[in-house]
Amino acid sequence: MSLLSACASASKRLVTQGLFVESAFTGYLRTASGAVKDKEPLRKAKTPQGRFDMNDEKTKDPLEKFPDDVNPATKEQGGPRGPEPTRYGDWERKGRCVDF
Amino acid sequence: MASVSRVLTKRILLTKAFPAATRCSSRNIHFSIYGKKDNAKVSDDISTQYPVVDHEFDAVVVGAGGAGLRAAFGLSEAGFNTACVTKLFPTRSHTVAAQGGINAALGNMEGDDWRWHFYDTVKGSDWLGDQDAIHYMTEQAPAAVVELENFGMPFSRTEDGKIYQRAFGGQSLNFGKGGQAHRCCCVADRTGHSLLHTLYGRSLRYDTSYFVEYFALDLLMEDGECRGVIALCMEDGSIHRFRANNTVIATGGYGRTYFSCTSAHTSTGDGNAMVTRAGLPCQDLEFVQFHPTGIYGAGCLITEGCRGEGGILINSEGERFMERYAPNAKDLASRDVVSRSMTIEIREGRGCGPEKDHVYLQLHHLPPQQLATRLPGISETAMIFAGVDVTKEPIPVLPTVHYNMGGIPTNYKGQVITHPDGEDKVVPGLYACGEAACASVHGANRLGANSLLDLVVFGRACALTIADTCTPGEKLSPLKPSAGEESVANLDKIRFADGNTRTSEIRLNMQRTMQNHAAVFRTGDVLKEGCDKMDAIYQTMEDIKTFDRGVVWNTDLVESLELQNLMLNAVQTIHSAEARKETRGAHAREDYKERMDELDYARPLAGQERKPFQQHWRKHTMSTVDPKTGKVTLEYRPVIDTSLDQEECSAVPPAIRSY
Repeated sequence: MSLLSACASASKRLVTQGLFVESAFTGYLRTASGAVKDKEPLRKAKTPQGRFDMNDEKTKDPLEKFPDDVNPATKEQGGPRGPEPTRYGDWERKGRCVDF
Repeated sequence: MASVSRVLTKRILLTKAFPAATRCSSRNIHFSIYGKKDNAKVSDDISTQYPVVDHEFDAVVVGAGGAGLRAAFGLSEAGFNTACVTKLFPTRSHTVAAQGGINAALGNMEGDDWRWHFYDTVKGSDWLGDQDAIHYMTEQAPAAVVELENFGMPFSRTEDGKIYQRAFGGQSLNFGKGGQAHRCCCVADRTGHSLLHTLYGRSLRYDTSYFVEYFALDLLMEDGECRGVIALCMEDGSIHRFRANNTVIATGGYGRTYFSCTSAHTSTGDGNAMVTRAGLPCQDLEFVQFHPTGIYGAGCLITEGCRGEGGILINSEGERFMERYAPNAKDLASRDVVSRSMTIEIREGRGCGPEKDHVYLQLHHLPPQQLATRLPGISETAMIFAGVDVTKEPIPVLPTVHYNMGGIPTNYKGQVITHPDGEDKVVPGLYACGEAACASVHGANRLGANSLLDLVVFGRACALTIADTCTPGEKLSPLKPSAGEESVANLDKIRFADGNTRTSEIRLNMQRTMQNHAAVFRTGDVLKEGCDKMDAIYQTMEDIKTFDRGVVWNTDLVESLELQNLMLNAVQTIHSAEARKETRGAHAREDYKERMDELDYARPLAGQERKPFQQHWRKHTMSTVDPKTGKVTLEYRPVIDTSLDQEECSAVPPAIRSY
């Protein structure tokens, strides 16, 4: 009973303030009912998320940032990272060509 | 408790202020207009089933990419009450995908002159570009780039703090005789993204009214003048008529007519189709730029550097087929040779994959270390877009469309023109800019880094022309109350269509036909066969079937309307290509390998007789379609060979184009 009235008053406050009702309401409900009880970590499944978790160290950008963002060869500030994109006659970046 | 909150929520929604003028029918219309005048009126004139709202503005811009945004806030800056009608949020337009830069003769890296840029562009267009428009664009280029930089676009800099310019795309010094010019100004590798965000941010300072996610259906034409636009609000299915004395079309290209293209799914040539349905011609639609190696299915392009570093193209038999077509250059032959060779292999049945419609680009014979150092990031790209491990498997590639040179014909001021009785005539009230327009600065072939320049210069030009010819707050031309009826009838027909073929099937048929017949490899019989097939596919539009009968966010309906627009573009493209019997720029034919100008510029001109207009091909194609039958009619318009000011910048006489 107290839970109900507490929820009602909380949601009424939120509603009159014009906030999104639904998400706040259900969020309140979830924490109030205490669904997340256990603290054990999620099992690493062979789902895409699991795969990304394992390969965390390998997700480095292959194109490295220049020191101070200045290209040492051309002295360009704020230019594209990595090797010169126009070196093959088209605009190349990470193997992809962009034609503009 | 749950019901308590629901009741409270409903009360909040009902107490929100509605525009006073809307009469509540069975549905509540909950759009709101941010702008100067709150003068939207609901009318019953053209439909009793769809709520129709009439708006009045001084100017309407259709499309909010680079060109559309520049035109919209240029007009707002000049004091016009402007509406910008766009089917995408402005920063989602396809301009955002342009990574490279903008050409401008600023002269920061070495001495430069815009007249050299003018020469390069005229030569690049294979002398099909209108030299007055090219003069206008290249002369305005430095001012346009400086203006963008003043708006806050973060160009990359040299040590002195000036804008850094790099060498790109056929730009030379001293009219082709002085070596490579450095003219391309970039923002790291996200110039288009930055341009769009800068323009959008700037446009919010002015009070342009944005109608986002409104799909423009048709132009409202009366007595040969354009009096506004009719659009569908995708959010709630209401129809909106925007009455304005000036309409600017900036809807982008139509890459999606082909199976393999780099364009977004929203590049459907809506502006070209609206103009065609209004009975006006489109110009030079047969000139479509291809890139030889685009990833099959994804549409991303693989750089030519892959072949430069040793990658090879192989067919289904594992043969390095480029050795047969270019024995010396092999895989390093020029783009068009490679594209044509790939297409011939596919046509002759040696393509790969279940449909035998692509070839393979093999890189796994190269040492992985070399790949990683010379082409960093390529393994990532190949995995994400092609799903292959580039060190073990080849990448499926095929020639891919990435730009349309053709579009709505305009003069150098951005006004749409027709060509009755041999004279250019302006269509009052209608303007076009960007990729949708054909000014024509790119002619038969577009140089790299010129298209972003084209957007800003001609977007601004449209705004300036309108500011010169009209005043804000002018009285609107009268419009028949029943204007836009056919558009609503068409919409209704498509919404309740119950034929046999789905939209996606018809679209795939069209895309495959265009890819097989109107792509890089063009000969008379292939094109003729393609024309017949496209005419047949056009007729199947009568048999279309849609599934979603609702009005709120009906993507089935919008995709079918987009398919109608794509069809109009596709039939004009293939018929114009079939008729043009020469090779010029991006339009390359196997059976007519030479350019056919009024004089043979390969030989000395003295003593040659000028060919009459009907017998040479240095002219623009103007195509019109009868939307009911799909029949294409072609006419021709001469190229403008004089610059705006012969003393300031003399025109370039035609010559043989060789690099």
